[in-house]
Amino acid sequence: MPIRNVVYRQREAGQVLTDLSDYRRAGGYEALRTALTEMDRDETVYAFVRSGLRGRGGAGFPMGRKASFIPKDSVLPAYVVCNADESEPGTFKDRELMETNPFQLLEGITLAGYAIGAVRGYIYIRGEYEHQARILDAAIAQARTAGFLGQGVAGSGFDFDITLYRGAGAYICGEETALLESLEGKRGQPRLKPPFPAVAGLYASPTLINNVETLSALPAIIEHGADWYASMGTEKSTGTKLFSISGHVMKPGNYEIVLHDTTLRELVYDIAGGFRPGREFAAAWVGGSSVNVLGPESLDTPLDYESMAEAGSSLGSAGCIVMDDSGSIVRATLRLAQFYRHESCGKCTPCREGTLWLERILQRIVDGEGRMEDLELIESLAGRMVGRVLCALADTGVLPVTSAVRRFRDDFVHAIENGGVPRPEPMMEVPVGG
Amino acid sequence: MADYAPVDLTAEGQVEFELNGRRVSAPAGTMLVDAAYALGVEVPIFCYEPRLGAPIGACRMCLVEIEGMRGLQTACSTPVQPDMVVRTNSDIAKDGQDGVLEFLLENHPLDCPVCDKGGECPLQDRTFRFGPGRTRFVEAKRHFPKPLDLSSVIALDRERCISCYRCVRFSQDVAEDKALVMQERGAAAEIATLTGDQYEGRFTGNVIDICPVGALTSIPYRFTARPWDVTNTPSICGHDATGTNVELTLREGHVARVTARPEPNYAVEEGWLSDLSRFAYEGNRAPDRLTAPLIRDDGRVKEASLDDAVDAAALVLGRGGRVGILVGPTATVEEGFLAQELARTALGGARIQRLGIPGAGLDAIRSQPRAELGDIDGAGLVVIVGGDPPNQQSIVELRVRKARRRGAAVITVGPRPHALEPVGTAVRSEPGRLAAAIAALDLPEAASTIVLWDEADLAAEPDAAGALARIVGDRGASQIELGADVNGAGLRALGLGAGDVLEAAAAGEIDTLLTIHADPLDGPGAADWGWALGRVRARIAIAAYASAVTDASTVVIPAATHYETDGVYVSMTGRAQRLRPGATAPAGAAPGWELLIALAHRLGAPPPYRSAARAFAAAAAARPALAGLDYDVIGVLGAPVAAVTPVSPNGVNGPREAAGTGLPLVTTTRIFGNAAAHRSEALASVRTGAELVLNPAEGERLGIADGARARLRSPHGECILAVRLAADHPAGAAFATTGVPGAGVERLLPADRGPVNVEIEAP
Repeated sequence: MPIRNVVYRQREAGQVLTDLSDYRRAGGYEALRTALTEMDRDETVYAFVRSGLRGRGGAGFPMGRKASFIPKDSVLPAYVVCNADESEPGTFKDRELMETNPFQLLEGITLAGYAIGAVRGYIYIRGEYEHQARILDAAIAQARTAGFLGQGVAGSGFDFDITLYRGAGAYICGEETALLESLEGKRGQPRLKPPFPAVAGLYASPTLINNVETLSALPAIIEHGADWYASMGTEKSTGTKLFSISGHVMKPGNYEIVLHDTTLRELVYDIAGGFRPGREFAAAWVGGSSVNVLGPESLDTPLDYESMAEAGSSLGSAGCIVMDDSGSIVRATLRLAQFYRHESCGKCTPCREGTLWLERILQRIVDGEGRMEDLELIESLAGRMVGRVLCALADTGVLPVTSAVRRFRDDFVHAIENGGVPRPEPMMEVPVGG
Repeated sequence: MADYAPVDLTAEGQVEFELNGRRVSAPAGTMLVDAAYALGVEVPIFCYEPRLGAPIGACRMCLVEIEGMRGLQTACSTPVQPDMVVRTNSDIAKDGQDGVLEFLLENHPLDCPVCDKGGECPLQDRTFRFGPGRTRFVEAKRHFPKPLDLSSVIALDRERCISCYRCVRFSQDVAEDKALVMQERGAAAEIATLTGDQYEGRFTGNVIDICPVGALTSIPYRFTARPWDVTNTPSICGHDATGTNVELTLREGHVARVTARPEPNYAVEEGWLSDLSRFAYEGNRAPDRLTAPLIRDDGRVKEASLDDAVDAAALVLGRGGRVGILVGPTATVEEGFLAQELARTALGGARIQRLGIPGAGLDAIRSQPRAELGDIDGAGLVVIVGGDPPNQQSIVELRVRKARRRGAAVITVGPRPHALEPVGTAVRSEPGRLAAAIAALDLPEAASTIVLWDEADLAAEPDAAGALARIVGDRGASQIELGADVNGAGLRALGLGAGDVLEAAAAGEIDTLLTIHADPLDGPGAADWGWALGRVRARIAIAAYASAVTDASTVVIPAATHYETDGVYVSMTGRAQRLRPGATAPAGAAPGWELLIALAHRLGAPPPYRSAARAFAAAAAARPALAGLDYDVIGVLGAPVAAVTPVSPNGVNGPREAAGTGLPLVTTTRIFGNAAAHRSEALASVRTGAELVLNPAEGERLGIADGARARLRSPHGECILAVRLAADHPAGAAFATTGVPGAGVERLLPADRGPVNVEIEAP
């Protein structure tokens, strides 16, 4: 099994690390001590750069480069913001980190804060993660008591604290500028960029925003060295990656694997246990739902950033949703279109109106009122959204729709010619009451 | 509307770039949309509105192609860059515009035939110019019940809304009333108030002007006219001294609507109107409007023709008695000048005064360098002394808020709480002790300082006016007078004083009184005027509205209002601007300047001109303050009158003690608590009455409970008011609302609005 638990230190330790003493016994806070006593800020940023760590939230932007964009001469305070608004469909890897290994995240945020000279870190956690928020709150309190947060972190001259902020339940708040708006107490909607958050982010101050997994990887990078981290994977896809796999597989769940060492086939069949008897792989949305859907011909693609791009999709958040041949790709596509319509914030026209229109067309096709020209219309509308919207929601949200229409065109044609898509048979009788 | 920001194509620091194959240049930092517009290329927009602050890039209408950049860029948020190659009309750019319009129209109801915006709708116009000819949307459109009343004057049709956020940004970022928000999200997004209450405030109507579709429409104007049935005339608001530039929509002789001008006057109102400026026009046809000339003879009143009334007036005035002429604060420069000419020629020896504040001690501060309202934006420090600009010179509030947003320090000093106090540092002065508060001010350093000062407050405290003049002079600051009267500055420019007639009438030296837009019995000093006018034998009134004066006049000649006449008003910042008639006066009324010329003819001293323009030219030739001005020079945006001759603050500016005993009276005003607001049905739900506000401690001391009534008595007169106890008002003063028709607070005051104390007791 190509599982390699680096970020999932709790799995390696074989226990949840929600108690500070347990986390320290598992090697926790050694990295922070090392950085504070042996490395200056630039060296810390440079270690992040050399590690090759890419943002794990979905966009895959090199984390170290992002940290290096923070201006050093700003008169405004700098902030680290942890994006814990884990909302991408099929993605639940950060939840486990926050539930079972919260101190590693706090240590990662503190390391990032030290590296960019921040005065405070914020964790923006999705509103639905109430349980996880409680765990993080307790962890922050413990870290503060133990001197890992507050005035003079771990006996150094570095002052830093972390504030937890709960969102109110909107996918768009995972978009970094919408997150900042929400964190500032405003309506969660993306901002016009530039300026980018590194220059004018939270309260118009320099801000480094990273995903939970990205920040949780920092302690291991400092502890074991950037070279060690970069030695895993490929040149452009270094280190390990958490995959959430869900859908028709027998063993859905989170798995940490070294990038490039595993193919989609191995992930689906070997790690996640394949499908129910008699069922075949039909489709997979590997990087959460905001990616091009892949068919069986892509099963031997190695799981890393470049290979997924080459296969015509993207690694995204690595929330891998897998479908076997028992379901309808047309209906699944409608469901995703409904999601993006529901989550569009409405600020910019092409997304607000386009996501609604796409959903309506797909609904007609499913309902048996589709027309052949609708398939061209979908392409045309998507073309008028991509690259013309304010943020990535619609830019990437149209991908599962357009890619499905292209890759599974026969399914759509079949639905249009044969009166739609019948309601699926329930997989099992669900007992009522009890 | 003001859609695109003005661009100076001749400014220093131009950037050269290519626009649709042309080599062009624009100042560095200019947004591409504005540069293109100035260069004759219209890039369509909806959400962009430079007056609302930084662009938000929401509507995506302004997509253009920029060589070397991926996809299409929003021209509203892209500053011009050297050598950038921009195409606004390439196939891909057109596809961008086409696409956004197709998306916008997807849920737009296309009920244009019954939409008030139809014919003057940016969405309609831009669809016609830039949009697709047909839609591919075959589904059912979004439906909402329509329309909702966002307030008593604004209808919200949510189906038509294209979520451009202009109204929300106006409320949040310009008026800062924080009332309007976008609710729900995605295609279900809709405009609403945060609290669910009506959208009420001093500036709400501006959202109607800036709405690029028919989502927000004016309830008073709805369904009254189509754009091709009306004519629009640029004019000036006649309801405060700011000189707010407006546009009058005229239909069948009546004012159907008042809006901001399509091209705002950036030096004055910047295209933002107060709701008083916008909705008071309905009072132009109020029941108390005078529409037929009246002649009183032996107690009988009969209607007469205009000719007969002017004849009768000439007869009374020409009888040879001692004549006094009273010019009211809404009279135009022409009317004031023609009245002066009457007094000089036909009625030689007549005494004449304007109705207003004498302000003898104000020349020192008035002669300091003047600023325009537009200069407030760029000030480093804004000091507001006295007054209550949000209620009296409302648009000043928006300028001060804008200055604060841009980083200016704001300091307010004065005896009464007002809405600009929380914007900066508020210093509360004791009544009658402004001079002490000014002396104690610790003003921060600033590159540029603008001092705004209240005419009435400082006229009542000449020592404070002197102290302030010294501060303005020492700092090299500039000043803006918060004027009390609509055309006070214009009448002062004519050299009209403000005390002569009252004195003479009180002494029994006036036999016949001619009032021109003047109603002394309803203004400050009403009690003193009442006594003095009792000694006058005959009265002639040229007036637009019925009043105690017209009720007691021998001859009443209805006059046109400022909506109906040509004329010049001089704003409180010294800007001469033209009124243009947007409506026709009632058949039995005529513009005051015409009536005064006719009167001069009847009295045998015809002036050598027969038009308002010529009358103004004659005034400009005769009065140094107006030198060099004529209607052409004033043009559409106005021109400054001459500066006041410098006067040293030393000398006349001694302290002045309040008359009477009891608590010092601090007068207050409310934007919707004046005759204009009370006449307009559109403002019925926001208009306010008069009250006496006391600190709860004062209430306890006087034994007067909240909600009770109290009698106020000064050496001049008395009145009865409802009492409100409010902890945010300091003890040691009585706050009473002036300006409310029929409330009589003015009776407490002397005619020069000087300081008084009042005794308060249960009635």
